[in-house]
Amino acid sequence: MFKEIFLFEIKYRLKRPATWAYFGILLVFGLIISISGDVPASEKTFVNSPVSIARMLSIISIFGIMLASAIMGVPVYRDIEHKTKNYYFSYPISEKGYILGRFLGSMSILFLITLGFHIGLIIGFEIGPYAGFTEAERFTSLNLWHYIQPTLVLCWTNFFFAGCIFFALVSLTKKVMLAYAGGAILFIIYLITLTLTQDIENKDLVSLLDPFALGTYSNIIRYWTPVEQNALTIPISGLLFWNRLLWVGIGLLAFLFTLFKFDFITFVNDNYKSKKRDKNLDESNPSAALTKVPKVTQVFSGKLSLNLLFSLAFMEFKNIIRDNFFKAILIAAVAFLLFDAFYGFPVYGTPSLPLTYYMLEVKDFNFVILIFVLIVFMTGEVLHRERTVNYNQIFGALPLSNRLVYASKFLALVMVSFVLVNMVLVSGVLTQIAKGYFNFEFDMYFIDLYLIEFPKYITFILLAFFVHSVVTKKFMGHVIAIAIWALLFALNSFVDVNNNLYLYGYAPRYVLSDMNGFGHFGTALFWFRTYWLACGFVLLVIGYMFWKRGTDSGRKARWQIAKERLNIKTVGTFSLLFIVFIASGAFINYNTKTVNKYRTVKQGILGQAEYEKQLNKYDQIAQPKVIDVKVNADLFPEKRSAKIKATYLMVNKSTEVIDSLHLLWGAEGLLKKEINTFTIDGEKPILGKRYDDFGYEIYAFDQPLKPNDTVKMILEVTGSYKGFPNEGMGSDIVYNGTFLNNDFFPSFGYNTGGELTSDKDRKKHDLPVKDYQLPDQNDVWGLSNLLFNNDADYVTFEGTVSTAPDQIAIMPGYLQKAWEENGRKYYTYKMEGELDFFYNISSANYNVHKEVWNGNSGETVNIEIFHHPSHTYNLDRFTKSVKHSLDYFSESYGPYQYRQMRILEFPRYASFAQSFPNTVPYSESFGWVGDFSDPEDIDYAYMVTAHEVAHQWWGHQITPSSTRGSNQISESMAEYSSLMVMKKEYGIDAMQKFLKRELDRYLRGRANESKFEKTLLDNDTQAYVWYQKGGLILYGLQDLIGERNLNNGFKAYMHAAKFREKAPFTTTTEWYDYIKSVTPDSMQYYLEDSFEKITLYSNKAIEATYKKLENDTYEVTIHVESKKEFFDGNGTQLGSSEQPNLLDIGIFENDGKNENGMTSKSPLMIKKEWIKSGKSKYTFITKKLPIKAGIDPYNKMIDLIPDDNLITISPAEE
Amino acid sequence: MGLQISNLNKTYSNGVQALKNVSLDIPSGMFGLLGPNGAGKSSLMRTLATLQQADSGTVTLGDIDVLNNKEQVRKILGYLPQEFGVYPKISSYNMLNHIASLKGVSNKAERKDLVESLLNKTNLWQFRNKSLGTYSGGMKQRFGIAQALIGDPKLIIVDEPTAGLDPAERVRFHNLLSEIGENTIVILSTHIVEDISNLCNNMAIICLGEVVAKGNPIVLTEGIKGRIWKKTIEKAELNNYQEEFQVISTYLKSGKTVIHVLSDNQPEASFQASTANLEDVYFSEITTRMNTVSA
Repeated sequence: MFKEIFLFEIKYRLKRPATWAYFGILLVFGLIISISGDVPASEKTFVNSPVSIARMLSIISIFGIMLASAIMGVPVYRDIEHKTKNYYFSYPISEKGYILGRFLGSMSILFLITLGFHIGLIIGFEIGPYAGFTEAERFTSLNLWHYIQPTLVLCWTNFFFAGCIFFALVSLTKKVMLAYAGGAILFIIYLITLTLTQDIENKDLVSLLDPFALGTYSNIIRYWTPVEQNALTIPISGLLFWNRLLWVGIGLLAFLFTLFKFDFITFVNDNYKSKKRDKNLDESNPSAALTKVPKVTQVFSGKLSLNLLFSLAFMEFKNIIRDNFFKAILIAAVAFLLFDAFYGFPVYGTPSLPLTYYMLEVKDFNFVILIFVLIVFMTGEVLHRERTVNYNQIFGALPLSNRLVYASKFLALVMVSFVLVNMVLVSGVLTQIAKGYFNFEFDMYFIDLYLIEFPKYITFILLAFFVHSVVTKKFMGHVIAIAIWALLFALNSFVDVNNNLYLYGYAPRYVLSDMNGFGHFGTALFWFRTYWLACGFVLLVIGYMFWKRGTDSGRKARWQIAKERLNIKTVGTFSLLFIVFIASGAFINYNTKTVNKYRTVKQGILGQAEYEKQLNKYDQIAQPKVIDVKVNADLFPEKRSAKIKATYLMVNKSTEVIDSLHLLWGAEGLLKKEINTFTIDGEKPILGKRYDDFGYEIYAFDQPLKPNDTVKMILEVTGSYKGFPNEGMGSDIVYNGTFLNNDFFPSFGYNTGGELTSDKDRKKHDLPVKDYQLPDQNDVWGLSNLLFNNDADYVTFEGTVSTAPDQIAIMPGYLQKAWEENGRKYYTYKMEGELDFFYNISSANYNVHKEVWNGNSGETVNIEIFHHPSHTYNLDRFTKSVKHSLDYFSESYGPYQYRQMRILEFPRYASFAQSFPNTVPYSESFGWVGDFSDPEDIDYAYMVTAHEVAHQWWGHQITPSSTRGSNQISESMAEYSSLMVMKKEYGIDAMQKFLKRELDRYLRGRANESKFEKTLLDNDTQAYVWYQKGGLILYGLQDLIGERNLNNGFKAYMHAAKFREKAPFTTTTEWYDYIKSVTPDSMQYYLEDSFEKITLYSNKAIEATYKKLENDTYEVTIHVESKKEFFDGNGTQLGSSEQPNLLDIGIFENDGKNENGMTSKSPLMIKKEWIKSGKSKYTFITKKLPIKAGIDPYNKMIDLIPDDNLITISPAEE
Repeated sequence: MGLQISNLNKTYSNGVQALKNVSLDIPSGMFGLLGPNGAGKSSLMRTLATLQQADSGTVTLGDIDVLNNKEQVRKILGYLPQEFGVYPKISSYNMLNHIASLKGVSNKAERKDLVESLLNKTNLWQFRNKSLGTYSGGMKQRFGIAQALIGDPKLIIVDEPTAGLDPAERVRFHNLLSEIGENTIVILSTHIVEDISNLCNNMAIICLGEVVAKGNPIVLTEGIKGRIWKKTIEKAELNNYQEEFQVISTYLKSGKTVIHVLSDNQPEASFQASTANLEDVYFSEITTRMNTVSA
């Protein structure tokens, strides 16, 4: 009997077109992504590497929730839907046979359908190499195990688990809607685990709880290099095993519960609890039929229609908000808002204050996904309301005009979306209250939600409304509407279609800022919203013509109806809307394309390739170098324009005669530049040649410049913005928070920075693969130029800047004079001594916080913090860090070169901090509004400030040459310096957290490398090497050879190389020599491993036991294992080392807290030992009860698995 | 005011021709539309109720062009569909009130009187505050007629209103229908002959989309007077009789098969004359066309 039901189910399903439709969709989807090779994998891995296949199978199983609910929700529900339950169970079948048969039959079909995707991939990856979308060498040969293993571990287990849940829900509740709601809930759990993954501390929790194990999978492969990704399948052990057991177990339990709980009687019988019928009251009253019905007046006026419109809309609105599905999704959506608002904005894992713009931005996280779904589903409900309850015939025959009914339904949805936008307001304010933040900026809420977000939701409705009007089958309508959105999203995210003019509902991104409010984004938003609303209303009118009233759904009848409805009013409305649509589109196109030169991603890449092909011949040509800069800047923030005059004194420092000046303005950007004055030695130079596309101009000197000749160039440029772009912040000059740098002016000669870097793109455009961006350490050109700018070595600087009366303008140097004139403010700055050629011009409405640092040798430094008036939260953290940094660096590396240190805030259109000579601009979202109340959270304001202050030495005193590895001299040194300042502040025992963070970022960085990993001496592009590896290696080095010893080496290097007057400038060779000179012979192996090679440890504590001795001491025995391996840049293992390494062995009590309240290790004993490769055993005596022990417990070494270094000590068995 | 239907045609997209050249003159009063399942009754009713398009033909109600001036028709229309649902969680009072306002009864006091009298008339007063979802089939049907009566409609269309009702409910429903004013056109479709003979002065029989007979039921019955013959036969003999005579219906009586035959003369001596009734008219019209004998 089970067999019969099982086979019937399979046969039934195999004949259903839906089964093959799903199968076909997955097949086609698999084919598309595999043939195009457009898979989520880094450039160095095969597109069909085992890791990539596993990832795709895992992702598809998440989107497959919908599939699972569609397949597993119905097998039992079918008997309710078709009313077959009334007799089906009268047959001699058992409940268990029925349930098992239906369940296993459907599950088999579900698995079968998923195979469509596999088959698509397998076929596609065979075609891929010949299709030419992705290079043929990125396809590897077919290995079936690479499909089978992840299918069993990830894909099918997910389907099984989800399928069990849906099956159980529907079988036990008889409500098919629950299958969809269940799907939503699963998706929500998944999204929550995604939010949790933002914090590395939650890694294990996520690995266990992610119901689809995608997070688990990502955590397993996070450090896998391309070589490993190409060869290995994920091991089913540890957390992955437990995760699978947990979720499959939950699924199985749900199914077993159903199997034993299910019985036909409850299933067949309707629930009468809520329906009490008072039969006896239904007495006939024969005279009743004679009751006279009074005459009434019927009015059909326009005013009444309007009343009816609102009352119908309101009634529909109430219907929607009473809908349980609506409530469930809305609650989930609001839960997301609250959740995201609460955890949503960590920087370095540290939360941010609940500022209003953060509260507003969460609407675009998970909320908007649910809003999409909700709008599509509710639109379907509204348009099918009467049909669903079979009231459509009565309703359709009522004397209500088509327009009235149609409009009332639309209006009801508009009301719903108004409720939806207000949810953001409510959750925002609640979150702010919960976090004790009471600065409610309701104006910001209202403008953003009512004027920007609300119209967007209306455009969503318009599309859904159109689809559901034209498509009369509700489910089909849902599928089509969601497919349209998915298509738009896919086009935008995967196919690089990013012209907002062609993506329904899209508009340029905008950013809210405390400093600059809504800034200049309003115009573009207004036009895009108008454009898409007009488009949506055009669709609404088309939908109106085909909207089904009555019962006739034949094509002919609907055309007839459409023709009937196509009267003068409809045509008029349509034409009007269409004109608005086309006109606003044309206006937008003029702004984005004609004025602001919109280019597709492809055109952008092509432009870069052409730039290199046409101009590369000018690479490294001799150009004069700037030695003195005078700037006269007039900023007009209210007009978003600036007129800046630069006077450059330039010298020919080369040995050649220079006959022409090459100016590189760059391709026309958003900031339009107009040259007012351009003279060289008082003469207007003559343009020789101009490459329009790249803004490259060549001017011949009147008299060629002989070596050591000096000329004076005056260049006055007006920069301003015109119209609005398709995307882009245009944030150089804004109403409040202008942040310009020397890029305002052209640079000299060809700049390799504009070239394509990706191997893939370069090959595609017939450019040779470029392994290094910079020449090697012995290259003459490289040695004669500085890293950050080869237009000058060190320069002198002074200038005057004027701005709006309510703003303060800042340039490098010391303020000489400030005055007001003609209603504008003027500031004159002059730098003492020299600086590298890197200056900024900023202006904003600032408050200034001032403190003074006093050095040991009597020097004083004025600390000035220019901040947004309300951002006073963390000023003390910035100043404390500046002071501690100045303490440590002036002592360790030599004196600070200036008498002031300024930190200034700029709007959050970018989110970085950057060190200019004596000035560090910080983005508004970076530190100023961090919530550092929990001492366990990383105080990144302190950490990053120390890094940026260190650049005053490493970068601005020693500015390295333009050769390979030079970035290490600025960035690794700054990162090391920052770690040292923290070590001094927090204590050595609290440092593990920071070191482990660095280690994690380094290991992930190398795993995602798209070229090959470079060494510390050679690296010229890889941030994870120069920040994370560099910081760690230098920290480890000071630990091995002594902090003071190493710093003395750096001090000597600083003394030798700072402000070097002429070439050759310093390189990593020189830097490394100083490091070697202070490192004893026994430790030279560490330098070689770390600086010249790529070396990774696998240190592990295997076992630790203690024995209490008679004198109240404890004898601790530790078994450790150590391994040191060398790798090439691609991650291929080159060999391992047998020689012993000096590593920490430590024994600890429970963790304690340091003075700052941070968790800190409490060592009972920590000792450096020469530990041999392989296993070793150590025995120590401690005075207190030991808790944990291990090898390299602070993660000072680069260790592939940093988590297994410490182990809990157990008492030894006697 | 009368309803004129002329040459109405409708073919569905699946190829089924639901209405073939239907022409009818329907005067005020009760008009019965009789036909087997799938005859096109509901198609005709829905077309009259503005819910469906016709391919060709005209329908006029007084001076209103029904097919092209739907909004005018809807203002004077009361419609009770064959199958209809209700919002299960709304009470009949509120629902009637709502529909009344949609039908343009904007004066609140009037509306209240109207709804209350309709509830009384349909014997639903006691249940006015109960949600419609709890109503039995008969109650729901009475609610249906109540809503159709709102706004003093000139044209009332009731589509198979008594299907599935028990005998008592049917009587009650007939009483309600018979009380509807004489100046109103009431079109009642049914496949139950008795409904028509009880209620209607005029009727049409419709079969396979065509009007096959129309007129006063009594006149129609007159037409076959003396031509109906019956005989009790063995079940096995039925085929023989069908080949030989025009058997219009068969039924069982005390376990034996009785056949009715349409014939101008007594077919055989064993046949007895039978009093012709409307049912015989109906069967004589449809049996030949549908090539089946209703058993």
